[in-house]
Amino acid sequence: MNFATLIAVLALAVILFLAVRYIYREKKKGTTCIGCPYAGSCQKYKEGITCQTDISGSKAE
Amino acid sequence: MEDKMTLLEAELGKTYTVKEIATDDEDMNAFLFRLGCYSGEPITLVSKKKKSCVAVIKDGRYNLDNLLSEAIVVE
Amino acid sequence: MRIAFAGNPNSGKTTMYNALTGRSEKVGNWGGVTVGSKEYQLKKEFAGNQEVIAVDLPGAYSMSPFTPEEGITSEYVRTANPDAIVNIVDATNLSRSLFFTTQLLELGIPVVVALNKSDINEKEGTEIDIEKLSAKLNCPVFKTISVNDKNNGLKEMISKAISLAGTIQKPPYLQADINLHDKDAVDAEDRKRYAFVNEIVKDVEKRKVLSAETNKQDKIDAVLLNPVAGILVFAVVMWFVFWVSQAWLGPLVADWLVGYIEAFQGWVAGQLESSPAILSALLADGIVGGVGAVVGFLPLVMVMYFLIALLEDCGYMARVSAVMDPIFKRVGLSGKSVIPVVIGTGCGIPAIMACRTIRDERERRTTSMLTTFIPCGAKIPVIALFAGAFFAGASWVSTLSYFFGLVLIFLGALLIKGITGYKYRKSFFIMELPKWKVPSLKFAFKSMMERARAYIIKAATIILVCNTLVQIMQTFDWHFNVVEEGAESTSILASIATPFAVLLIPLGFGVWQLAAAAITGFIAKENVVGTLAVVYGLTAFIDVDELEMVGGANTVAVTMGLTSVTALAYLFFNLYTPPCFAAIGAMNSEMKSKGWLWGAIGLQLGTGYTVAFLIYQIGTLVTEGHLGQGFLPGLIAEALMVLAVIMIGRKVRAHFDEQYELHKNIKGTEGAAA
Repeated sequence: MNFATLIAVLALAVILFLAVRYIYREKKKGTTCIGCPYAGSCQKYKEGITCQTDISGSKAE
Repeated sequence: MEDKMTLLEAELGKTYTVKEIATDDEDMNAFLFRLGCYSGEPITLVSKKKKSCVAVIKDGRYNLDNLLSEAIVVE
Repeated sequence: MRIAFAGNPNSGKTTMYNALTGRSEKVGNWGGVTVGSKEYQLKKEFAGNQEVIAVDLPGAYSMSPFTPEEGITSEYVRTANPDAIVNIVDATNLSRSLFFTTQLLELGIPVVVALNKSDINEKEGTEIDIEKLSAKLNCPVFKTISVNDKNNGLKEMISKAISLAGTIQKPPYLQADINLHDKDAVDAEDRKRYAFVNEIVKDVEKRKVLSAETNKQDKIDAVLLNPVAGILVFAVVMWFVFWVSQAWLGPLVADWLVGYIEAFQGWVAGQLESSPAILSALLADGIVGGVGAVVGFLPLVMVMYFLIALLEDCGYMARVSAVMDPIFKRVGLSGKSVIPVVIGTGCGIPAIMACRTIRDERERRTTSMLTTFIPCGAKIPVIALFAGAFFAGASWVSTLSYFFGLVLIFLGALLIKGITGYKYRKSFFIMELPKWKVPSLKFAFKSMMERARAYIIKAATIILVCNTLVQIMQTFDWHFNVVEEGAESTSILASIATPFAVLLIPLGFGVWQLAAAAITGFIAKENVVGTLAVVYGLTAFIDVDELEMVGGANTVAVTMGLTSVTALAYLFFNLYTPPCFAAIGAMNSEMKSKGWLWGAIGLQLGTGYTVAFLIYQIGTLVTEGHLGQGFLPGLIAEALMVLAVIMIGRKVRAHFDEQYELHKNIKGTEGAAA
């Protein structure tokens, strides 16, 4: 194994490790779409589901 | 039935007073109310197209479709 | 401490929120840009040493919500107990805005009024006596100009809000004790509130120019809202955006960038000459090549984001929505559906979320189902790759992709109207036409950089990992032996993708490599390009100059073994099948119905399949004089799809009739009781 190979193996390992760690952390935070600047608001809406009842309520009248 | 004049027949540039919102659609009535379009309030037609028009309600300009302008009775 | 930002739509809440927190949330000059609540810490210069969280809320006209996004606002200020509320009031439309203000003042939470857009008032010569207004409302009032960096009044306003937390203000107007279920009583009460507001406005506001007078802006609008000229202008504007980003400026920068990426890839491969082949494949082809192929298209995407941001900022979107309304009404949608479609050229997820401003549920679900037919930013690399490799970089390919997407939206809407809406309620359309403003280059640049950052993060994480996996699956067979040259079809990737490839034979591209790329595309559409780069060992996708030297049959086209017809079929298949999983997730949370979600996925799969099938079969018939492969099985598949649509339609109608019947019964008993 030569020097270049060693560096390459190391680089590959580090790059993959960082990428997977980033994805893992984002998923744990609850982000559904990695890198998406709007992911936060997608999540929020799921919590704010109650507003839907307001709407259907006013329609049913 | 008396002859009612709606926003559809209104003259451009002239300020009218809303007489009533003639609709069965509760939502439409309430929606227009929130923008300040209800009986007794002034309304001005700015421009008119075949299927829609632009009107000034309070200090805002709105694009309304004919379904709405038909329902706004003015005098 | 939490401070909520509430006010009418398009009063500038998010612009103020961004200025106070340093975030760059999406803003635009039309009502209903913000569709969810967002929160972030105030900058130190505003909050001092305290921890103050600002909460940005969607715009609302009153406390009674009409659309889902308004519901979020009233729900929040009622139940979340913020320590203070900053009520952002559009100073140019005081008479409407104060209605909501007086409602907020009744909640028992300290309120500070920010008279935003005060700069426009100054220009128009409108004067507002803020001391008098403050006395009448019994709450502090500040003039603010959120778009200015300095002298914007934000610091004074926010420090007052912070200092008021925990105090109690006496509301200037209290709703009488009425039965809230009695509609007439509520109506009368609301009128009284408006009368109260009108009195205040009469006292504090002096206008030089009356709103009702026709002005220069009306003349512009007269053209843009004209059914013929307006739509023509819209078409030209969108064509210009696509042309600049995908045929002129974008590729110019991309060519230069790709040069560096390729040089880097060559250098990496050179260093690894004496290393094991698998290492070179993983690092040089998989990571540098695959990710590079995607990043190479970044300039195209960035230029487009920049131009779209300018459009969103100037006030044009509301006009487009208004002028397109009659056309969209014909297929059972309305002008409100136009905004998601335009936003969808950037990214499908905010587009699907923007559907929240649509009041009618059927219309809202239909729009969120169809809006992703407009190619998003992630599909640009795919379009550019195919346009470059098979059509000599012709810009008509991308124009056609968008135009065809629009056609599919119309056809899809008609289909859904046919299935679900044969007794649908006619919905009315009203859109506030905001004042035109000169778009801010700084804002557009910021918005572009933000999205470019997201694109790079995506490329460096998801796409990088996917490419590596694809490379590994392609290199090994199930016994983890390295696949020999010439026996590529024994690899893991090939054996997984082949069953799918069989289904694609009637579409003209039944090879496992293309099937694999289409599948990885569901994770992120850029993956189609990344995977193709890996499985075919190509990178110089965008280097149009180089491709042209080889003529029509350039290296990419030859390696992929596709004709122009099959290439177009494959491109359209990728464009019009379901979007990425993230967008499907967004669709799920907006539709709130499993039936609609599966309907949407089914419709999108069916559309992609049908479009590709027709292009391939008819295209082959025209160019080669005979039908393509697998015409009969494809036809059977199409027949099954039509059958499924008819079945669903019947089921939905039966259900509808049932409901209608029920309704009649209720009405009947009511009549009897009376």
